[in-house]
Amino acid sequence: MNSTFEDRLLAELKAEIAARAAQGRAPAARRLTGRRFLAVAGVVAVAAGTAVAAPMVIGSQTRAYAVTKNADGSINLWLNEFRDPRQVERDLAELGVRADITYLSLGKRCGNARAPFVAGDHTPTTPEELASKDPAVQARIRKRAEKTASAKAIRPENGITIYPRYIKPGQIVLIEVMENPVEPTVKHPGVAWQFSGRLTDGPVGPCQIVDDPSAFDIGTGTPPAGS
Amino acid sequence: MRPKQTSPKQTSLADVVRDPEAFEAFYRRHFDDVTRFLARRVADPHTVADLTAEVFLAVLDSAHTYRAGRGSETAWLYGVARNTLHAEWRRSARESRATSRMAGHRPLEPDDVVRLEDRIDAEAPARRALEAMAELPESERALLELVAVDGLSPAEAAAALGIRQGTARVRLHRARRFIQQVPGVVPVMGGTK
Repeated sequence: MNSTFEDRLLAELKAEIAARAAQGRAPAARRLTGRRFLAVAGVVAVAAGTAVAAPMVIGSQTRAYAVTKNADGSINLWLNEFRDPRQVERDLAELGVRADITYLSLGKRCGNARAPFVAGDHTPTTPEELASKDPAVQARIRKRAEKTASAKAIRPENGITIYPRYIKPGQIVLIEVMENPVEPTVKHPGVAWQFSGRLTDGPVGPCQIVDDPSAFDIGTGTPPAGS
Repeated sequence: MRPKQTSPKQTSLADVVRDPEAFEAFYRRHFDDVTRFLARRVADPHTVADLTAEVFLAVLDSAHTYRAGRGSETAWLYGVARNTLHAEWRRSARESRATSRMAGHRPLEPDDVVRLEDRIDAEAPARRALEAMAELPESERALLELVAVDGLSPAEAAAALGIRQGTARVRLHRARRFIQQVPGVVPVMGGTK
Protein backbone atom coordinates (compact mmCIF):
# COMPACT_ATOMS: atom_id res chain seq x y z
CA MET A 1 0.00 0.00 0.00
CA ASN A 2 1.61 3.27 -1.10
CA SER A 3 -0.86 5.75 0.29
CA THR A 4 0.06 7.80 3.32
CA PHE A 5 -1.68 7.83 6.67
CA GLU A 6 -2.94 11.31 5.81
CA ASP A 7 -4.61 10.02 2.62
CA ARG A 8 -6.04 6.89 4.21
CA LEU A 9 -7.51 8.81 7.12
CA LEU A 10 -9.06 11.29 4.68
CA ALA A 11 -10.69 8.46 2.73
CA GLU A 12 -11.98 6.99 5.98
CA LEU A 13 -13.41 10.33 7.08
CA LYS A 14 -15.05 10.92 3.71
CA ALA A 15 -16.63 7.50 3.94
CA GLU A 16 -17.86 8.42 7.42
CA ILE A 17 -19.40 11.63 6.02
CA ALA A 18 -21.14 9.64 3.30
CA ALA A 19 -22.30 7.06 5.82
CA ARG A 20 -23.73 9.73 8.07
CA ALA A 21 -25.57 11.24 5.13
CA ALA A 22 -26.98 7.83 4.24
CA GLN A 23 -27.84 7.07 7.84
CA GLY A 24 -29.91 10.22 8.12
CA ARG A 25 -32.40 8.73 5.68
CA ALA A 26 -32.26 5.04 6.52
CA PRO A 27 -34.80 3.64 8.95
CA ALA A 28 -33.28 2.79 12.28
CA ALA A 29 -34.79 -0.68 12.37
CA ARG A 30 -32.25 -1.94 9.91
CA ARG A 31 -29.39 0.22 8.90
CA LEU A 32 -25.71 0.10 8.34
CA THR A 33 -23.91 1.26 11.40
CA GLY A 34 -21.89 3.65 9.31
CA ARG A 35 -18.90 3.17 11.55
CA ARG A 36 -17.33 0.28 9.78
CA PHE A 37 -15.43 1.87 6.99
CA LEU A 38 -11.82 1.45 6.21
CA ALA A 39 -9.92 2.79 3.28
CA VAL A 40 -7.58 0.34 1.66
CA ALA A 41 -5.54 1.59 -1.28
CA GLY A 42 -8.37 3.48 -2.88
CA VAL A 43 -10.88 0.79 -2.05
CA VAL A 44 -13.28 1.28 0.78
CA ALA A 45 -14.34 -1.57 2.99
CA VAL A 46 -18.01 -1.24 3.51
CA ALA A 47 -20.19 -1.91 6.47
CA ALA A 48 -19.37 -5.34 7.67
CA GLY A 49 -21.43 -4.71 10.75
CA THR A 50 -25.14 -4.37 10.42
CA ALA A 51 -27.15 -2.89 13.22
CA VAL A 52 -30.52 -4.45 13.67
CA ALA A 53 -33.38 -3.96 16.02
CA ALA A 54 -34.82 -6.79 18.05
CA PRO A 55 -38.13 -6.93 19.85
CA MET A 56 -38.32 -7.04 23.64
CA VAL A 57 -38.59 -10.45 25.16
CA ILE A 58 -41.98 -10.75 26.77
CA GLY A 59 -42.63 -13.29 29.48
CA SER A 60 -40.68 -14.61 32.40
CA GLN A 61 -37.47 -15.97 31.00
CA THR A 62 -35.05 -16.38 33.80
CA ARG A 63 -31.81 -16.84 31.87
CA ALA A 64 -29.83 -13.75 31.01
CA TYR A 65 -29.15 -15.17 27.57
CA ALA A 66 -29.31 -18.37 25.60
CA VAL A 67 -26.72 -19.90 23.33
CA THR A 68 -28.11 -22.73 21.23
CA LYS A 69 -26.71 -24.78 18.42
CA ASN A 70 -28.96 -25.30 15.43
CA ALA A 71 -29.17 -28.40 13.23
CA ASP A 72 -27.45 -26.61 10.34
CA GLY A 73 -24.41 -25.87 12.49
CA SER A 74 -25.30 -22.24 13.12
CA ILE A 75 -25.30 -20.89 16.65
CA ASN A 76 -28.08 -18.72 17.98
CA LEU A 77 -27.42 -16.13 20.62
CA TRP A 78 -30.48 -14.69 22.30
CA LEU A 79 -29.88 -11.93 24.81
CA ASN A 80 -32.41 -11.33 27.52
CA GLU A 81 -30.44 -9.48 30.15
CA PHE A 82 -27.37 -7.49 29.41
CA ARG A 83 -24.76 -8.60 31.86
CA ASP A 84 -21.67 -10.77 31.97
CA PRO A 85 -20.51 -10.64 28.35
CA ARG A 86 -17.44 -12.67 29.39
CA GLN A 87 -19.66 -15.65 30.22
CA VAL A 88 -21.30 -15.37 26.78
CA GLU A 89 -17.81 -15.41 25.26
CA ARG A 90 -16.93 -18.54 27.26
CA ASP A 91 -20.08 -20.33 26.16
CA LEU A 92 -19.41 -19.45 22.53
CA ALA A 93 -15.81 -20.61 22.93
CA GLU A 94 -17.10 -24.01 24.04
CA LEU A 95 -18.88 -24.20 20.69
CA GLY A 96 -15.65 -23.30 18.93
CA VAL A 97 -16.38 -19.61 18.28
CA ARG A 98 -13.90 -17.00 19.48
CA ALA A 99 -15.97 -13.94 20.31
CA ASP A 100 -15.49 -10.49 21.77
CA ILE A 101 -18.76 -9.14 23.16
CA THR A 102 -19.32 -5.61 24.38
CA TYR A 103 -22.52 -4.35 26.00
CA LEU A 104 -23.33 -0.67 25.68
CA SER A 105 -26.34 1.52 26.31
CA LEU A 106 -28.36 2.47 23.27
CA GLY A 107 -27.08 5.87 22.24
CA LYS A 108 -23.46 4.87 22.72
CA ARG A 109 -21.07 3.21 20.37
CA CYS A 110 -17.41 2.32 20.20
CA GLY A 111 -15.91 5.38 18.57
CA ASN A 112 -12.55 3.89 17.81
CA ALA A 113 -11.34 1.47 15.17
CA ARG A 114 -10.99 -1.43 17.56
CA ALA A 115 -9.78 -4.15 15.29
CA PRO A 116 -8.61 -4.72 11.73
CA PHE A 117 -11.07 -5.72 9.02
CA VAL A 118 -10.94 -9.11 7.35
CA ALA A 119 -10.12 -9.39 3.67
CA GLY A 120 -13.63 -10.61 2.82
CA ASP A 121 -15.11 -7.32 3.99
CA HIS A 122 -13.35 -5.18 1.42
CA THR A 123 -15.67 -4.25 -1.40
CA PRO A 124 -14.86 -2.30 -4.55
CA THR A 125 -16.88 0.69 -3.42
CA THR A 126 -15.50 4.11 -4.22
CA PRO A 127 -15.84 7.19 -2.01
CA GLU A 128 -17.91 8.72 -4.84
CA GLU A 129 -20.40 5.86 -4.62
CA LEU A 130 -20.57 6.24 -0.85
CA ALA A 131 -21.29 9.94 -1.22
CA SER A 132 -23.99 9.31 -3.81
CA LYS A 133 -27.56 10.17 -2.95
CA ASP A 134 -28.87 8.01 -5.80
CA PRO A 135 -31.08 5.28 -4.25
CA ALA A 136 -29.90 2.82 -6.92
CA VAL A 137 -26.27 3.37 -5.93
CA GLN A 138 -27.15 3.09 -2.25
CA ALA A 139 -29.01 -0.15 -2.90
CA ARG A 140 -25.96 -1.50 -4.73
CA ILE A 141 -23.72 -0.62 -1.78
CA ARG A 142 -26.14 -2.30 0.63
CA LYS A 143 -26.22 -5.39 -1.56
CA ARG A 144 -22.43 -5.57 -1.53
CA ALA A 145 -22.39 -5.09 2.23
CA GLU A 146 -24.72 -8.06 2.60
CA LYS A 147 -22.26 -10.24 0.71
CA THR A 148 -19.26 -9.50 2.92
CA ALA A 149 -17.63 -12.26 4.92
CA SER A 150 -18.86 -10.69 8.16
CA ALA A 151 -22.45 -10.39 6.99
CA LYS A 152 -22.48 -14.09 6.06
CA ALA A 153 -20.99 -15.15 9.39
CA ILE A 154 -23.03 -12.94 11.73
CA ARG A 155 -26.69 -12.47 10.87
CA PRO A 156 -29.62 -10.74 12.52
CA GLU A 157 -31.76 -13.88 12.72
CA ASN A 158 -33.63 -14.70 15.94
CA GLY A 159 -31.51 -12.25 17.81
CA ILE A 160 -28.01 -12.97 16.61
CA THR A 161 -27.11 -16.06 14.61
CA ILE A 162 -23.50 -16.99 13.99
CA TYR A 163 -22.53 -19.25 11.09
CA PRO A 164 -19.20 -20.91 11.97
CA ARG A 165 -18.80 -22.28 8.43
CA TYR A 166 -18.12 -18.71 7.28
CA ILE A 167 -15.54 -18.07 9.98
CA LYS A 168 -11.95 -18.78 9.02
CA PRO A 169 -9.47 -20.24 11.52
CA GLY A 170 -8.20 -17.60 13.92
CA GLN A 171 -10.97 -15.10 13.19
CA ILE A 172 -12.79 -13.44 16.05
CA VAL A 173 -16.48 -12.56 16.11
CA LEU A 174 -16.65 -8.96 17.28
CA ILE A 175 -20.10 -8.02 18.56
CA GLU A 176 -21.28 -4.80 20.14
CA VAL A 177 -24.75 -4.81 21.65
CA MET A 178 -26.52 -1.57 22.44
CA GLU A 179 -29.35 -1.94 24.95
CA ASN A 180 -32.10 0.64 25.30
CA PRO A 181 -32.17 1.63 29.00
CA VAL A 182 -35.82 2.63 28.57
CA GLU A 183 -38.39 -0.03 27.77
CA PRO A 184 -39.97 0.91 24.45
CA THR A 185 -43.72 1.41 24.56
CA VAL A 186 -46.35 2.28 22.00
CA LYS A 187 -46.22 5.84 23.25
CA HIS A 188 -42.44 6.00 23.11
CA PRO A 189 -41.48 3.64 20.33
CA GLY A 190 -37.91 2.56 19.92
CA VAL A 191 -35.78 -0.50 19.70
CA ALA A 192 -35.09 -2.73 22.69
CA TRP A 193 -31.57 -3.36 21.55
CA GLN A 194 -29.36 -3.20 18.53
CA PHE A 195 -26.19 -4.93 17.67
CA SER A 196 -23.38 -4.63 15.21
CA GLY A 197 -21.13 -7.52 14.40
CA ARG A 198 -18.21 -8.28 12.19
CA LEU A 199 -15.26 -10.60 11.86
CA THR A 200 -11.70 -9.63 12.60
CA ASP A 201 -8.33 -11.33 12.63
CA GLY A 202 -7.53 -9.38 15.80
CA PRO A 203 -6.07 -8.00 17.91
CA VAL A 204 -9.16 -6.37 19.40
CA GLY A 205 -8.65 -3.15 21.37
CA PRO A 206 -10.96 -1.95 24.13
CA CYS A 207 -14.06 -0.01 23.16
CA GLN A 208 -13.77 3.74 23.41
CA ILE A 209 -17.32 4.78 24.14
CA VAL A 210 -18.76 7.81 22.39
CA ASP A 211 -22.28 9.17 21.98
CA ASP A 212 -24.39 7.96 19.07
CA PRO A 213 -27.49 10.15 19.04
CA SER A 214 -28.62 8.56 15.77
CA ALA A 215 -29.49 5.38 17.71
CA PHE A 216 -32.69 7.06 18.84
CA ASP A 217 -33.65 7.97 15.32
CA ILE A 218 -36.40 5.50 14.59
CA GLY A 219 -37.15 6.88 11.16
CA THR A 220 -40.62 7.47 9.86
CA GLY A 221 -41.74 3.86 9.90
CA THR A 222 -43.68 1.99 12.51
CA PRO A 223 -41.99 0.44 15.55
CA PRO A 224 -40.37 -2.91 14.87
CA ALA A 225 -42.64 -5.91 14.99
CA GLY A 226 -43.12 -7.27 18.48
CA SER A 227 -42.30 -4.12 20.39
CA MET B 1 1.34 31.18 14.09
CA ARG B 2 1.04 31.08 10.36
CA PRO B 3 -2.08 32.85 9.21
CA LYS B 4 -4.66 30.33 8.10
CA GLN B 5 -7.11 30.62 5.29
CA THR B 6 -10.58 30.28 6.70
CA SER B 7 -13.51 28.79 4.84
CA PRO B 8 -15.44 31.16 2.61
CA LYS B 9 -17.91 33.00 4.80
CA GLN B 10 -21.01 31.76 3.02
CA THR B 11 -20.19 28.13 3.89
CA SER B 12 -20.49 27.22 7.54
CA LEU B 13 -18.29 24.52 9.01
CA ALA B 14 -21.42 22.46 9.64
CA ASP B 15 -21.96 22.41 5.86
CA VAL B 16 -18.29 21.69 5.20
CA VAL B 17 -18.39 18.45 7.18
CA ARG B 18 -21.38 17.26 5.15
CA ASP B 19 -19.66 17.75 1.82
CA PRO B 20 -16.75 15.34 1.15
CA GLU B 21 -14.99 17.78 -1.21
CA ALA B 22 -15.25 20.80 1.05
CA PHE B 23 -14.16 18.63 3.94
CA GLU B 24 -11.09 17.49 2.02
CA ALA B 25 -9.97 21.11 1.64
CA PHE B 26 -10.51 21.71 5.37
CA TYR B 27 -8.66 18.50 6.25
CA ARG B 28 -5.65 19.27 4.03
CA ARG B 29 -5.51 22.78 5.48
CA HIS B 30 -5.35 21.55 9.06
CA PHE B 31 -3.86 18.03 9.04
CA ASP B 32 -0.33 19.28 9.81
CA ASP B 33 -1.50 21.60 12.56
CA VAL B 34 -3.43 18.82 14.27
CA THR B 35 -0.59 16.29 14.13
CA ARG B 36 1.87 18.92 15.41
CA PHE B 37 -0.46 19.88 18.23
CA LEU B 38 -0.65 16.23 19.24
CA ALA B 39 3.09 15.59 18.73
CA ARG B 40 3.75 18.31 21.29
CA ARG B 41 1.86 16.26 23.83
CA VAL B 42 2.27 12.62 22.85
CA ALA B 43 5.55 10.95 21.90
CA ASP B 44 4.25 7.75 20.29
CA PRO B 45 3.51 7.81 16.53
CA HIS B 46 0.67 5.28 16.76
CA THR B 47 -1.03 7.29 19.47
CA VAL B 48 -0.59 10.50 17.47
CA ALA B 49 -2.18 8.75 14.46
CA ASP B 50 -5.11 7.42 16.49
CA LEU B 51 -5.70 10.75 18.16
CA THR B 52 -5.50 12.60 14.83
CA ALA B 53 -8.31 10.38 13.61
CA GLU B 54 -10.28 10.98 16.80
CA VAL B 55 -9.86 14.76 16.48
CA PHE B 56 -11.19 14.81 12.92
CA LEU B 57 -14.05 12.51 13.89
CA ALA B 58 -14.84 14.95 16.71
CA VAL B 59 -14.83 17.71 14.10
CA LEU B 60 -17.57 15.86 12.21
CA ASP B 61 -19.56 15.66 15.44
CA SER B 62 -19.11 19.20 16.64
CA ALA B 63 -18.66 21.36 13.55
CA HIS B 64 -21.97 23.06 14.34
CA THR B 65 -20.36 24.60 17.45
CA TYR B 66 -17.86 26.64 15.40
CA ARG B 67 -18.60 30.36 15.23
CA ALA B 68 -16.48 32.22 12.69
CA GLY B 69 -16.81 35.45 14.66
CA ARG B 70 -15.24 33.98 17.75
CA GLY B 71 -11.87 32.94 16.38
CA SER B 72 -10.06 31.18 13.58
CA GLU B 73 -10.69 27.62 12.49
CA THR B 74 -7.31 26.70 13.92
CA ALA B 75 -8.19 28.06 17.36
CA TRP B 76 -11.46 26.15 17.36
CA LEU B 77 -9.69 23.02 16.12
CA TYR B 78 -7.10 23.25 18.89
CA GLY B 79 -9.98 23.44 21.36
CA VAL B 80 -11.41 20.25 19.85
CA ALA B 81 -7.97 18.59 19.85
CA ARG B 82 -7.45 19.54 23.47
CA ASN B 83 -10.81 18.08 24.52
CA THR B 84 -10.11 14.89 22.57
CA LEU B 85 -6.71 14.51 24.18
CA HIS B 86 -8.04 15.11 27.67
CA ALA B 87 -10.88 12.65 27.16
CA GLU B 88 -8.29 10.11 26.09
CA TRP B 89 -6.10 10.81 29.12
CA ARG B 90 -9.04 10.49 31.49
CA ARG B 91 -10.04 7.26 29.83
CA SER B 92 -6.53 5.81 29.96
CA ALA B 93 -6.16 6.87 33.58
CA ARG B 94 -9.30 4.89 34.34
CA GLU B 95 -8.16 1.85 32.45
CA SER B 96 -4.47 2.37 33.32
CA ARG B 97 -3.28 0.56 30.27
CA ALA B 98 -2.81 3.41 27.87
CA THR B 99 0.24 2.11 26.08
CA SER B 100 -0.98 -1.38 25.30
CA ARG B 101 -4.38 -0.10 24.23
CA MET B 102 -3.30 2.41 21.66
CA ALA B 103 -0.46 0.59 19.96
CA GLY B 104 -1.23 -0.45 16.43
CA HIS B 105 -4.86 0.56 16.30
CA ARG B 106 -4.52 2.26 13.02
CA PRO B 107 -2.26 0.41 10.65
CA LEU B 108 0.72 2.64 9.87
CA GLU B 109 3.15 2.06 7.04
CA PRO B 110 6.86 2.36 7.91
CA ASP B 111 6.95 5.69 6.02
CA ASP B 112 4.04 6.98 8.11
CA VAL B 113 5.87 6.06 11.29
CA VAL B 114 9.03 7.86 10.11
CA ARG B 115 7.07 10.98 9.21
CA LEU B 116 5.27 11.04 12.54
CA GLU B 117 8.48 10.35 14.47
CA ASP B 118 10.16 13.27 12.70
CA ARG B 119 7.28 15.46 13.74
CA ILE B 120 7.45 14.17 17.31
CA ASP B 121 11.22 14.80 17.42
CA ALA B 122 10.75 18.31 16.06
CA GLU B 123 8.34 19.06 18.87
CA ALA B 124 10.63 17.85 21.68
CA PRO B 125 11.38 21.39 22.96
CA ALA B 126 7.66 22.10 23.10
CA ARG B 127 7.09 18.94 25.12
CA ARG B 128 9.79 20.03 27.57
CA ALA B 129 8.15 23.43 27.90
CA LEU B 130 4.80 21.79 28.54
CA GLU B 131 6.33 19.58 31.21
CA ALA B 132 7.74 22.64 32.91
CA MET B 133 4.26 24.10 33.05
CA ALA B 134 2.85 21.10 34.86
CA GLU B 135 2.86 22.89 38.21
CA LEU B 136 0.66 25.73 37.02
CA PRO B 137 -3.03 25.65 37.90
CA GLU B 138 -4.98 24.00 35.09
CA SER B 139 -6.82 27.14 33.97
CA GLU B 140 -3.60 29.14 33.58
CA ARG B 141 -1.66 26.27 32.08
CA ALA B 142 -4.26 25.63 29.37
CA LEU B 143 -3.97 29.23 28.18
CA LEU B 144 -0.22 29.40 28.35
CA GLU B 145 0.06 26.17 26.40
CA LEU B 146 -2.06 27.47 23.55
CA VAL B 147 -0.32 30.85 23.43
CA ALA B 148 3.33 30.10 24.17
CA VAL B 149 3.60 26.60 22.78
CA ASP B 150 0.91 26.29 20.12
CA GLY B 151 1.25 29.85 18.88
CA LEU B 152 -2.33 31.10 19.15
CA SER B 153 -3.00 34.74 19.93
CA PRO B 154 -4.43 35.34 23.45
CA ALA B 155 -7.81 36.14 21.87
CA GLU B 156 -7.78 32.90 19.88
CA ALA B 157 -6.69 30.89 22.90
CA ALA B 158 -9.59 32.38 24.83
CA ALA B 159 -11.93 31.35 22.01
CA ALA B 160 -10.44 27.84 21.94
CA LEU B 161 -11.09 27.45 25.66
CA GLY B 162 -14.46 29.16 25.58
CA ILE B 163 -13.51 31.88 28.07
CA ARG B 164 -13.71 35.67 27.92
CA GLN B 165 -10.75 37.60 26.59
CA GLY B 166 -10.45 39.67 29.78
CA THR B 167 -10.30 36.51 31.88
CA ALA B 168 -7.68 35.12 29.52
CA ARG B 169 -5.47 38.21 29.85
CA VAL B 170 -5.51 38.01 33.65
CA ARG B 171 -4.71 34.32 33.72
CA LEU B 172 -2.01 34.69 31.09
CA HIS B 173 -0.35 37.43 33.10
CA ARG B 174 -0.25 35.25 36.20
CA ALA B 175 1.04 32.28 34.20
CA ARG B 176 3.80 34.19 32.46
CA ARG B 177 5.09 35.49 35.78
CA PHE B 178 5.37 31.91 37.00
CA ILE B 179 6.93 30.49 33.88
CA GLN B 180 9.71 33.07 33.76
CA GLN B 181 11.03 31.50 36.92
CA VAL B 182 11.39 28.08 35.33
CA PRO B 183 14.95 27.64 34.05
CA GLY B 184 15.34 26.54 30.46
CA VAL B 185 11.81 27.27 29.40
CA VAL B 186 11.93 30.93 28.48
CA PRO B 187 14.29 30.55 25.50
CA VAL B 188 12.01 27.90 24.03
CA MET B 189 9.08 30.18 24.48
CA GLY B 190 10.79 33.32 23.25
CA GLY B 191 8.20 34.81 20.95
CA THR B 192 5.41 32.93 19.37
CA LYS B 193 6.00 30.85 16.30
